[in-house]
Amino acid sequence: MITRVVEWAGRLLLGPIEELGRGTRVLWGGLSNIFIRPFRLRLIIQQMEFIGIQSLPIIVLAGFFTGAVFALQSYRAFQMFGAESMVGGTVGVALTRELGPTLTGLLVAGRAGSAIAAEIGSMRVSEQIDALDAMATDPMNYLVKPRIIAAMLVTPMLTAIFDLVGIIGAWAVCVKLLGQSEPAFMVRLLDWVDFEDFAGGIFKGLVFGTIIGTVACYKGYYTEGGASGVGQATTSSVVVASVMILTANYFIAWALG
Amino acid sequence: MSGRSIPTHEPQAEAEDPVTGEQGAIVYSDVHKAFGDFKVLKGLDLIIPRGKITVIIGRSGTGKSVTMKHVMGLLRCDKGKIWVGQNELTTMHDRRLRKVRNRFGIVFQHAALFDSMNVFDNICFPLREHTRLSFRDMKAKVTELLGLVGLSGMETKMPSELSGGMKKRVGLARALVRDPEFLLYDEPTTGLDPILAAAMDELIVTTHKAKPGLTSVIISHDMRAVMHIADKIAMLYEGVVYDEGTPEHFETSDDALIKQFIAGSLIGPMSV
Repeated sequence: MITRVVEWAGRLLLGPIEELGRGTRVLWGGLSNIFIRPFRLRLIIQQMEFIGIQSLPIIVLAGFFTGAVFALQSYRAFQMFGAESMVGGTVGVALTRELGPTLTGLLVAGRAGSAIAAEIGSMRVSEQIDALDAMATDPMNYLVKPRIIAAMLVTPMLTAIFDLVGIIGAWAVCVKLLGQSEPAFMVRLLDWVDFEDFAGGIFKGLVFGTIIGTVACYKGYYTEGGASGVGQATTSSVVVASVMILTANYFIAWALG
Repeated sequence: MSGRSIPTHEPQAEAEDPVTGEQGAIVYSDVHKAFGDFKVLKGLDLIIPRGKITVIIGRSGTGKSVTMKHVMGLLRCDKGKIWVGQNELTTMHDRRLRKVRNRFGIVFQHAALFDSMNVFDNICFPLREHTRLSFRDMKAKVTELLGLVGLSGMETKMPSELSGGMKKRVGLARALVRDPEFLLYDEPTTGLDPILAAAMDELIVTTHKAKPGLTSVIISHDMRAVMHIADKIAMLYEGVVYDEGTPEHFETSDDALIKQFIAGSLIGPMSV
């Protein structure tokens, strides 16, 4: 009985440690290869196009309507106190500090992270990663490095675009739809949103991009089983990356003050 | 274990193969491998003779593919030693291991072609990764190899447009593109119709003859083909080499287990 309890507790403890170790190995495998030839510039650009350019429509759409609905609700609330002029600043700060990076991270994890996990996972189960190894090509250099670097570079850019489009959405609702004066919207916005707010959001984008790339590559790289294994890896990649993004967001916000 | 002709001592680097009399190009010595609680290899001793075709046979799950993957360092054994020539692999660092892998070509069971690349790019991949050949030279090499495997003009096809047999032949062309010393085949005829399987067997023999010094290792269940192409057969059973010898040795063996395996009979010491 005692042996079983100890075994069970051991397994419970070792599981997450093993996962953390593997995840760290994938991150290290990607980053430690940055300056090791071949540099894979073509593959990095390909992945930037896939993660960045192909995510643009969804980022623009989500950013615009996030800013718009936030402005709409804030306007109604502030109207009760006659403080409608604060909407621009409130939306601006919320978008640049929190909503922009977090929602961008979640969207990229859902669209690109899942696709990366599925692609690498299907390469694993169809022995394509073994084939890379067998042909003396390091899969960490060929597969993992370009994806992690691309996600790290592109997610902050998408965050900036989300922020900008979100503010445009808020402006459209406040100024064009609800009839607020443009100076009232812009003065508070420019007054309240500091460079530090924007830079903090971009830094979060960098961290979230690293999380998305690492988790997607890790889940794909260690896929087991056939098609169902690929499905599990894909789902798990989105869930783990999303939870990590939300958790990391709190700690970064706390650290940045 | 009657009929067992393998040596009782653990072989060392480049040990002489008792079946063919050739020097061992690849030597497994007391190799153990387990996945969790499941022990696959339990002290495997095997010599792959240089320049010959060695076929590894055995029931599914006896560790044939695991044995093959160890020789390229795709798996690391829990105990024992594996030599490729004078290089001992089990303690070798990844970077050095990659240099050893450059001496190998492998044809995977399901070809393992990169599905994002066409036939030309698949075959060219090792050249692009490890050589500085010009595009013209690469093209000439690919054309020559596609001719050898009977797929001339298929350069622009994607793997999804190829049949199983075609994929395996493209896999063979990719394995040959860097003129390897060792060519490994993981069940090359599985899933092929009898005509294509016979054509693949011929291709293996033709390729082996066309490349002097090539050491071929084949995992197969296809006993008709095994008897036709093998210089040496090693039968794996319960994680060790149960018997090894020439095709004639296996054909004339009185061992009940070997007879049952070769005949594919349900009656015998091996249960389903």
